[in-house]
Amino acid sequence: MAEFEPKIVAFLCNWCAYRGADLAGTSRFHYPANVRVVRFMCSGSIDPVYVLEALLNGADGVLIAGCHLGNCHYQDGNYKAKHRVQVLKKILGQVGIDEDRVWLRWIDASEGKLFSDTVHQMVAEIRAKGPNPMRKPWKVWQDTVGFHLPEIESELKK
Amino acid sequence: MKVETVLKAEKGDILGTLRSFLGKLLEKGIVDYLLVPQEFSHGRTLAQTLVKDPSHLDKANPFSPVMPMNSAAIVSQLTGDKPKKKLGVVLKPCEIRALVELVKLGQASLENLIIIGTDCLGTYEVEDYAKLMDEMEGTSEEKGARILADMRRAIVEPGTTSLPISLRQACKMCNSFIPVLADIILGLFEEEKGVFVSLESEMAEKLGLEVKEAPGRQEIVTKLVASRTEVREQVFAGFREKMGSIVDFSDCLATCTRCYACSSACPICYCRVCFFRTDTFEPESERYFRWVEREDPLRMPTEILLYHLTRLNHVAASCVGCGMCESACPRALPLTTLFQAVGEGVQQALKYAPGRSLEEEIPLASFREAET
Repeated sequence: MAEFEPKIVAFLCNWCAYRGADLAGTSRFHYPANVRVVRFMCSGSIDPVYVLEALLNGADGVLIAGCHLGNCHYQDGNYKAKHRVQVLKKILGQVGIDEDRVWLRWIDASEGKLFSDTVHQMVAEIRAKGPNPMRKPWKVWQDTVGFHLPEIESELKK
Repeated sequence: MKVETVLKAEKGDILGTLRSFLGKLLEKGIVDYLLVPQEFSHGRTLAQTLVKDPSHLDKANPFSPVMPMNSAAIVSQLTGDKPKKKLGVVLKPCEIRALVELVKLGQASLENLIIIGTDCLGTYEVEDYAKLMDEMEGTSEEKGARILADMRRAIVEPGTTSLPISLRQACKMCNSFIPVLADIILGLFEEEKGVFVSLESEMAEKLGLEVKEAPGRQEIVTKLVASRTEVREQVFAGFREKMGSIVDFSDCLATCTRCYACSSACPICYCRVCFFRTDTFEPESERYFRWVEREDPLRMPTEILLYHLTRLNHVAASCVGCGMCESACPRALPLTTLFQAVGEGVQQALKYAPGRSLEEEIPLASFREAET
């Protein structure tokens, strides 16, 4: 049987983490294709509902990345993200959802290498965890997250 | 400075004593308006009323044994434009806690507000209380007094209630039934069978009250806190034992119809337009068939877990444990246990207690640069 390939949804802030991911690309730092990036203007605008939607629809992991504390383009958005993710993880743990499937990391626009390393590390750890138990009853994540990439799907299955 | 006194109840008429005390607050100009629960003419239930004339307090009962809604939402309505005259509001401890949270969320104001907090004897489900009133003999006044006396005895000597109905789930496991942050406290937890009052010394002078000690109050409170905390921990432990996986969580919400009654009843859920009541969750019907092609069977209505988990995320840190969600639920889902048990975990992690103080900031709405 082929090795389990986790699907990871990454919510990246426009100013730091997304630029970091961009830099990883232009610098040719390799990172696994398991990650699907959704760009947000700020990590502070990521309501827990988006993270929950991804998890409940079978994403194996959710990465939230924003500017380092003190560097937020909007002053304090990443502090809000930090508190929200703290609460979210605490809640997930208590209702029987593995909270370690949600990662919050600070990645600067200049840290392309860090983005690549983070994704490598996350894919490895989630792969070790195995599929999200919600993946079985909830197989429709492409539809509800709002995009559908059949080509990548078939690539991943190879 | 706060002083304490005990109002003697003439012929044991507690409600009459309370009404004349509230009337005096209006007469002496300590408050210009008063928000207080009053009995309806049919006697089957009580609801909050806004009163100006002291003679309109003849059905008032600050220790209302029913709580059709959390009155913090009413205070939010009344203080939206910051009242110009003094408004006295009779609130139960969980209503004060919700009000404090709403003030911190910018949804209510304490300006010109005088909080009259009551010791809470617990409350019954509205339906249970109405049925009880139908079944009991006597005038509604007599019935009200008998129920109050019974509830009071049950506080002092737990397990002695003679009423055939039991308290709401949230009340059974409530261990914060003493008002904090109230300007005036009305209490029944004392031995003399009068009414305990705590208030500013100036107010006491204006009302012509003598300062007196309330014997035995502290012991009664300490004992009840201990026994309620025990119940609370048992309920929470039972809940946590059941929540092994997401399947258990889903099972616990099996009969939810996503009617949003819990969110309407919740004093903390204050958004005018809830995201869940928008078109986002009413997709074109074709989409359901696409979903079921991949996930068979598909739980209908969809997004139930998402709804409750999102509400938990938005509310858990500020959940005051009033249990209005569970009382409002037409399917009687164990929402108050869910929100309080999960809320306790979140609040401990954030080192935050909702409604405890006005200075403590709500962690989700604040940040410190020194944080790392």
